[in-house]
Amino acid sequence: MKLDNHLRRYRFNHQQISQQDLANQVGVTRLTIHSIEKGKFNPSTLLALKIARFFKVRVEDIFYLAKEEKEK
Amino acid sequence: MKKARETLKTVSLVLGLGSISFFIFNYFVFANLRPKMIVFKPISSREESLMNWVGIGLLISLSFYLLSVWQIIKKLKNLEKIKTSFVFLVLIGVLSFLFIFSDVALLNDIGKQYRHGLSQPEWRLLYPLVSFQLLTSLSFVYLDLSGFLSQKKPKPVVRDSNLFLIVQFVGLVCGLMGLTASSLGFLFSRAWNLFLHVVLSSFILLLPYFLVVSYWFLIKLREKDRQWYDEKQLQDVGKSAFLTLILSIVFMVFLFAANYHQLDGVVSILWLPLYLFLVLFLFSLGNLYFSAQE
Repeated sequence: MKLDNHLRRYRFNHQQISQQDLANQVGVTRLTIHSIEKGKFNPSTLLALKIARFFKVRVEDIFYLAKEEKEK
Repeated sequence: MKKARETLKTVSLVLGLGSISFFIFNYFVFANLRPKMIVFKPISSREESLMNWVGIGLLISLSFYLLSVWQIIKKLKNLEKIKTSFVFLVLIGVLSFLFIFSDVALLNDIGKQYRHGLSQPEWRLLYPLVSFQLLTSLSFVYLDLSGFLSQKKPKPVVRDSNLFLIVQFVGLVCGLMGLTASSLGFLFSRAWNLFLHVVLSSFILLLPYFLVVSYWFLIKLREKDRQWYDEKQLQDVGKSAFLTLILSIVFMVFLFAANYHQLDGVVSILWLPLYLFLVLFLFSLGNLYFSAQE
């Protein structure tokens, strides 16, 4: 089972905020945001919560288990 | 702030022009001394005193490279993406910085061999090194004159990845140079000296890495919400540390086995620098590799 996300979509829906601006808001490097979007890096719970709080949504709205999404 | 930037630019420009002038002067001094020294003709005290100016010139170049590399690193710290041109500039700056010490060592050897009536093959190595350094000085002065280094800083980033990557690039260069220099000990084992070729050389080759890590350390200390590594960096560092551990064990076992019958030979003074530089090289390479795996 793989953790996937809609982070890119949320960024674009949120005034097309850049990876760097999002990284600045949640206190990580741009590369971390980039790697999360590409599915190459799983964020910690803390970072996932920070990202969700920034977009004012629930964590599971952005992050999901890839298998779960298929079943839906 | 603006005044400080202008002062820095002026200091850098003065040092840069001084460095170029001295390299040209050095060419003339070498061109004058070499034909006499290779046939062991006597050198006048006036000609000998010119070497003091060569030394002063090298010191000026050393300061210029340090200042330029620092300015480049400062600039790229806030860039959104690290550019190859910046990495290239840092690397030629670090190499030119290290080559200053090579210049000193070569000139020292040439002087000694001349006094003992021995041939001086070091001249052949000296010219390419000095030419490389002259090109570096010219490039850095061009960057200064074009205002490239003193341009306004871009928007600051909360967590930088560029400085982290630059530390790894410098580590890679220092590690590789250290491994090469230490491996030479196996070829010239009789002439290998514990203090000169192991202690002093290792110290000099580690100096750029030490300086860039100190700068990174200072930047981190100044951060309000200090976090040594970003989440992904921490994961990358962990992976490269594991890789370094495994490969360094393999290498050390191989080194031990290869020298099993002569453990009291040159390997007895080479194992530590080899280990140090290998670890530095592998760790930096690992970090760069895993960081690139976005």
